Parts: sequence; C-alpha cells; structure tokens
Amino acid sequence: MSEAGFKELKKGGMMRQAEAGLFSVRLHVVGGRLATPQLRAIREAADRFGRGEIHLTTRQGVEIPHVRQDALSALKNFLEPSGVGVGVCGPTVRTVTACQGCRVCPSGVIDSPELADMVDRELYGKPVPHKFKVGISGCVNNCMKAEENDVGIKGWIEPLREAPACTFCGICQAVCPTKAISTSGDGLALIIDPTLCIGCGDCITSCPSGNMREKNRGYRVFAGGKFGRRPSLGKRILGVLQTKEEAMAAILAVLDFFRVHGKAGERFGDALQRTGFPALETFVKQGVGRP
Amino acid sequence: MTTPQLDITGDVCPMTFVKVKMGLHEIAPSGKLNVRLKEEALKNVISSLKTEGHRVTNVSREDGIFLLEVTKAG
Repeated sequence: MSEAGFKELKKGGMMRQAEAGLFSVRLHVVGGRLATPQLRAIREAADRFGRGEIHLTTRQGVEIPHVRQDALSALKNFLEPSGVGVGVCGPTVRTVTACQGCRVCPSGVIDSPELADMVDRELYGKPVPHKFKVGISGCVNNCMKAEENDVGIKGWIEPLREAPACTFCGICQAVCPTKAISTSGDGLALIIDPTLCIGCGDCITSCPSGNMREKNRGYRVFAGGKFGRRPSLGKRILGVLQTKEEAMAAILAVLDFFRVHGKAGERFGDALQRTGFPALETFVKQGVGRP
Repeated sequence: MTTPQLDITGDVCPMTFVKVKMGLHEIAPSGKLNVRLKEEALKNVISSLKTEGHRVTNVSREDGIFLLEVTKAG
C-alpha cells in the first residue's frame, strides 16, 4: 500500500502497526462512556478480528490492535449494529474527552458528558489544519486536564461578595487557594482579583454569613494547550459562559479561528504564538456574541 | 454558663469533622460550641456545619488559629 493509502486509513482510525500488515483500529468513544452491549461487541470484535486484546488510550478511547488489513472492513461492519463507530486520527477533531460531570460527581459544576456529546456531534472527525483535541472538566479539580487540550472547558463558579452582613472574619481569604481575595486599603471592602480566582467556590462554601455567593456558574474556556514533544498549557479566554450553547459557540469560533490562521501540521497553540491571544479573543467574542 | 470549647487544632480531616459533629451532639438545640481550628480545616468544617443546618455566629482569630462560635441548629 502507498503512503497516501496509509494516511487515508489513518484518518479513518486505522493505524498501521510496527508489524507490517497489521493495524490498530481506533473506535469512536465520547467522554469514555460505553454501554455494556457496546463493550460486549468490542470484546467479541477483538476476539474475532484481533488477538483478543483491547487498548485503552490516554484520552478515554478504545483501540483494537493486531487487526489484519484484509479484516478492516469486516471489523467495521461487525461493530456497526452495536452503535460503535470507527474513530479518527490525522488532521481532524479528535476524541472529545469528558469527566462524569455534575450528574454523577458531587464536585461537578457542569454536565460534561452532555457538552461532550454536543461537541462530538458537531465536530468529531472534521478536517482541521492539525489534530485538534477538546477536553471537558466538570469543575476546577480538572480531572480532564482542560489546559492540555487545544480547547478545554472547565466548570467554574464565579464568586460575588455582597456587603451587608460581611463581618470581615477573614475566612474567605484564609481558604482561598490562590489568595485572590484581599481587603481594600481602607478596610471597608473585599476585593476578588478575577485574574487569580480559579473558580473553585471555596470562599462561598466557607463563608459563615452567606455574603459570598455565586455570581455565575458555568463554563470557562481554555485555548491552545497541547502535550506531545513540546508541551504547553492552554490559557483561559472570555468570561464565565453560562449555557452549553454559549460554550459550544465558543468552541466553534475557536475552531474557525484555527481554520483561518492555522497552518497544516501546526498545532493550535503554535498558531496562537504567531497570532497572539488577543486576536483569538476578539474573534471568539464575536462568535459568542459577548462583549 | 460558659460556652464549651472544642480544640481540633491537632486534628486532620476527617477527624476535624467527626469531632465537631460529636461535640455538637452534646449541645442542646440552639446552643453554642466554640471550636478552635487551623486554617486548613476551615473549609470542610464550615461546609459540613452549614449542610447540617448549624451556623457560625462569630469568628475570631489569634496567631493563625481560628475560633468559631457555632450555634447548633434549633
């Protein structure tokens, strides 16, 4: 097979192995969730078409290794009735990762799987200048490592301090993990530094008087992260977005920006080094319709 | 009557939380308990108190140790 032929197969989730004639077949999984009938089908497929082995990938994906080239289409057809599709690789939007979100996790702020499904439906496998990864963490504990993704989302709680019954007891300042809360010079106000605040909500949980409360609970967007040979962390853009539709619009706008400014073979984070973050923010704000 | 005092400055989670719970068990509804604790214990102790309907009605601080006046749920 020609190199071009291998590349096409790879885009369709069939990756050439070190051993000639064998492929590791990537499956389409969203946020690491599979129904038991799907798992049974995958197990059966690995027995029939592979060597009874399944590889769990670093980004919640599943691969069936050791599949012979002449069995690739049979494997695909075998899995189809169970609703398990074959995955993607190459310059495409990759597996969308997500934690279990607020429906399962007590720490969860947003419904990560719900947004992951939306992103997957809209974008999975779509062509882009270079591989593009989306990861969704339900809260700032960040199990899904939002900053390692080209676009990462985190559930975020933005605090607001209301003056009336605040006694300046100092508890919010003591519990704040980033020391984002300070007392004004005249001692009459508390100031929350939004650049330091990490959206954990600990100040709200700990406030004895109930004066620290939630201003916003929603989605925070991080752009330009990657791992690989030269890792770099994504940076946060925009304010706290309140709906999944807004979060989706932001992700779409970020991707549009990448399509306009990215070069083939260049990760989004590297493209941002050239364009700068302000250009991205301006573009995405228009896309989300937010000042 | 003086308010009973509980010192959990030498404890770590979850004993901080457990001791406060046990301490409050001895208190009559709407009664008070003073709790001495370190900064690290603030978040978990206060959030569990709030969850169970108790209130922190006064806060003072000395040398990095917090003193909470807890009023038991009525």
